[in-house]
Amino acid sequence: MSTPAGMSTPAGAARVLVVEDDPHLAAGVMENLRAEGYQVEAAGDGNAALSWLREHACALIVLDVMLPGIDGLTVCRSLREQGNTTPVLFLTARGDPADRVRGLEAGGDDYLAKPFHLAEFLARVRAILRRWDWYRGASATAATAMVRFGGNEVDFRAFRARAWNGESQELTEKEAMILKVLAEHAGEIVSREDLLERVWGYDVFPSTRTVDNFILRLRKRFERDPANPQHFLTVWGVGYRFLPGSEP
Amino acid sequence: MRMKATRVFQLTALALVVVSAVQVGWWLYDQHAYTLERVRLARRAYAEQTAAAQALLDAGTSVARVHELLPKIAVTAGRAALDPTIEATLITEARHRSNQYAWEGGFFLLALGVCIAVIARALRAEARVLEEQDSFLALVSHQFKTPLASLQLSLETMALRDLAPERARALIERMLADLARMEAMVTQILESVRLERGRADLKSEPLELRAAVTHVVAALEERARQERIAISSDVPPGLYVLADPLSLDVIVRNLLENAFAAVTPVGGGRIALAARALNGEIELAVQDSGVGFRPADGARLFEKFTRLHPGGGSSQYGTGLGLFIVRRLMQLAQGRVAAHSDGVGQGARFTLTWPQAQAPRP
Repeated sequence: MSTPAGMSTPAGAARVLVVEDDPHLAAGVMENLRAEGYQVEAAGDGNAALSWLREHACALIVLDVMLPGIDGLTVCRSLREQGNTTPVLFLTARGDPADRVRGLEAGGDDYLAKPFHLAEFLARVRAILRRWDWYRGASATAATAMVRFGGNEVDFRAFRARAWNGESQELTEKEAMILKVLAEHAGEIVSREDLLERVWGYDVFPSTRTVDNFILRLRKRFERDPANPQHFLTVWGVGYRFLPGSEP
Repeated sequence: MRMKATRVFQLTALALVVVSAVQVGWWLYDQHAYTLERVRLARRAYAEQTAAAQALLDAGTSVARVHELLPKIAVTAGRAALDPTIEATLITEARHRSNQYAWEGGFFLLALGVCIAVIARALRAEARVLEEQDSFLALVSHQFKTPLASLQLSLETMALRDLAPERARALIERMLADLARMEAMVTQILESVRLERGRADLKSEPLELRAAVTHVVAALEERARQERIAISSDVPPGLYVLADPLSLDVIVRNLLENAFAAVTPVGGGRIALAARALNGEIELAVQDSGVGFRPADGARLFEKFTRLHPGGGSSQYGTGLGLFIVRRLMQLAQGRVAAHSDGVGQGARFTLTWPQAQAPRP
């Protein structure tokens, strides 16, 4: 339910929620975020985070995975189920690829293993916020907030869509972002690497196959015949081309 | 590598024993079937002899001649029949052989079965140890990563930013606390590994509970003042338990540390120690006014790496090993430990119970 409104404070500083049960680590993270000019809020466990987010909005959630009570992955999943699209940066003591994938599948945007470098942490925070700034900026006007193709209608601001068969669809933020990038370059070839860079950032996902999976999901949602796509075309060995087609 | 070689050896031995067992089983069946077949063949031969004797008799051969030709056939009133003692001998012999095979084969099968059970048990135990070691290592590394991350963050903050002296001092204090936390973890992990492997070389001597408790409480008094915790101790003299002096110290200290961790998050409070003799047992209760825990979590508290969170919840700096060590040491001293709380925010009560011991003779 989080909307662009309320993500930034009146002064313009982005608000970041830090969910970490270790008081030292939480204090260190919060002090550094404050020093970078962010407005910072804290929650000591998953329940506190969820109840804070019911009342407030923020631009980013820094979320520890191992939390007392409900763990970070569950917190993220339940936020996404509620339609909350606030980006999540996971902090975790486990950093193997399987755990990273689990975090991203739960709806996380990025993943950082403890112990981490301060500079890298801040760079990732900036990168996530930059991607969201781009997305919100690119969906700000009435003309850019919607895209229509083949009888489908997608509302980028509400993360909702009405498909050609009349079904209403809830988009995940990644699906919406990919569609946004493709729609901005309608008719052009967009490489998988470009999509990864624009939507996830640099080295988050282990492979570009992830992009392919998201394209499959978009086809399922919006193509009349997903096996024979008319809008989301594969350009073999390069990437994808989005063809809005003529609006009936 | 050695572990692997042992495993290969165990698996080979297991395979050999299983093959032997199958072989013995088959041999047993084969011998039994062979015996039955021999009985069947003998019966047929006797039946043929009886028929031949009858034919000879019918052809007019004298009884004496028939007896000479076929000595196992008896003739009574002109009818030939097998001598009943021979039939009886045949059956007895067959039964005797069958019994012999059953006993001998059964004994071998039993011995092999025991071997199979022993080897399979060893293999399972080994797999369980490996699994436990893996999860122990995973948990240990996880426990260390949080203070390490905090330490690295503090150091990098100091390197990256120009801090006012008081901010820098606060960061240094935080780093020292993180280091102390890691040191405590190392000590407790080593202690728990030692206890798990059963390497603890514990003495068992009558110790006066009052002296042990007073010693630990005295060591914690300064910290209690700083953290606004009032410790009271009501342990009458003359209560003796059979225990190891060092492990009794560890038990009481860990319980008090646990109580501190529960009381500190709520801004201070009370910790009360009380002991009494009851039905041949000595009971020491540690009651605190801290965060408490959900009654359902009571049993989990003593498991390795269980850290509950304040207000729902855990001792922030605990290793999750303190209470585990307490329970293990109590078990080794033939005692037990129990935890009770009416709920989150209601404080908690930990009770240690030992068999009462006689005071040492002066």
